[in-house]
Amino acid sequence: MARRYDSRTTIFSPEGRLYQVEYAMEAISHAGTVIGVLSKDGIVLAAERQATSNLLEQSLDNEKIYEMNDNVVAGVAGHAADANTLINQSRAIAQRYLLKYDSPMPVEQLVRRLCDMKQGYTQYGGLRPFGVSFLCAGWDSTFGFQLYQSDPAGNYSSWKAACIGENYSNAQSILKQEYKDEEKEEAGPNVRTVGSQMTMDDALKLTCQVLSKTIDTAKLSSKKLEFATITLKAGKPFIHVYTSTEIDEVLKKYESVIKPADSQ
Amino acid sequence: MSIMQYNGSAIVAMAGKDCVAIAADKRLGQRALTVDTDFQKVFPITDRTYVGLPGLATDVKTLYDRFRMRVNLYKHREERTIEPKTFSHLVSHMLYERRFGPYFVEPIIAGLDKNDKPYICGMDLIGCLDFAKDFIVGGTASDNLYGMCESLWEPDLGPNDLFETISQALLAAVDRDALSGWGAVVHIITPEGVITRDIKGRMD
Repeated sequence: MARRYDSRTTIFSPEGRLYQVEYAMEAISHAGTVIGVLSKDGIVLAAERQATSNLLEQSLDNEKIYEMNDNVVAGVAGHAADANTLINQSRAIAQRYLLKYDSPMPVEQLVRRLCDMKQGYTQYGGLRPFGVSFLCAGWDSTFGFQLYQSDPAGNYSSWKAACIGENYSNAQSILKQEYKDEEKEEAGPNVRTVGSQMTMDDALKLTCQVLSKTIDTAKLSSKKLEFATITLKAGKPFIHVYTSTEIDEVLKKYESVIKPADSQ
Repeated sequence: MSIMQYNGSAIVAMAGKDCVAIAADKRLGQRALTVDTDFQKVFPITDRTYVGLPGLATDVKTLYDRFRMRVNLYKHREERTIEPKTFSHLVSHMLYERRFGPYFVEPIIAGLDKNDKPYICGMDLIGCLDFAKDFIVGGTASDNLYGMCESLWEPDLGPNDLFETISQALLAAVDRDALSGWGAVVHIITPEGVITRDIKGRMD
């Protein structure tokens, strides 16, 4: 029965579902985990490279974390090849915006343009949807630090802490438990309760903690991880993509929260 | 009168010992009428590569915006900053794309490469590259600048001597050109960083 409705992306099933889009999301939930945590003064992104053969040449470049613009860095879960074309397009879009308006593209606008591209492939016939989700961490002068999640359907949403990829529901529940939010009573009725109680250190620590519980490995190491942060430096967004030695330093610093998987 | 002389400009780049300098006047005119005396003609491309754009002011601004876009895309794609030599070929390519309807500028590029080696080059308005070991000049005062540079420049100048040489060459050259002048800006690019100085000349 389902066969009649899942071979083409643009056809609804009688229950009102788009099967190809759901399959794409299913594919992503088996991809390497990507975690993003927002703090007062920056955002931490971490990604897991999934186990491959040890015969495979270790790539020097990042496979999961890419700079989209000077003020946006993105983590990728899903088909790497699909992600590449979307990232190239996003970079071009951001630069065209800069050329046109002589000011950096606001984060949400870039995410929306990216999602518009994804959405198109769930509506126009003959093609499959993009099999990727993104976590976009960015800063702009209007809304400050922002963390967005996007899915193959072209939905996007803004988060204080988010996770995509394998074990994402697990990770999300830990994030929900451990994330220190702003206390609601302090804010008046008309004050938007943005911001968090987290510092960058807290965010890094929480990221390590969640990684250790979601990734199925005996010991976390820089071989399978990628880290990036976006902070402000002299009033300008500053993206730092960690080297493998820096990742090992972070893991060592927060060793206490990273419990070995077999002790649980 | 050629459109290259419409706004007026004088830009010079010089190579020294482990350093390069690029200097430009600040005048923006419309033929003989001076409109602005603080017009930017030299732009940073990376931490250690600068481009000077003598010529038609509207094209100066447009080209800088386009360079910025292309260099940012390069930076994100390659995950490294662009080398001055690579950048000059990019500029040359962008100019020759407009072979039969050119931008009216003669770009001058100065920078240090990844081995801290000085690099300077210039090109004409359709992107014909001109590599030099000593100096590159451009703008309405270029004839005067050639004369000054030929007599003042010597090999292996340090950052301080290079600053003195390039400043004197530029100031003397613009004093004999009606379309450029009104003060100048000098950038000295060294492995440790860039020193930028504004200098006053004859303000008339």
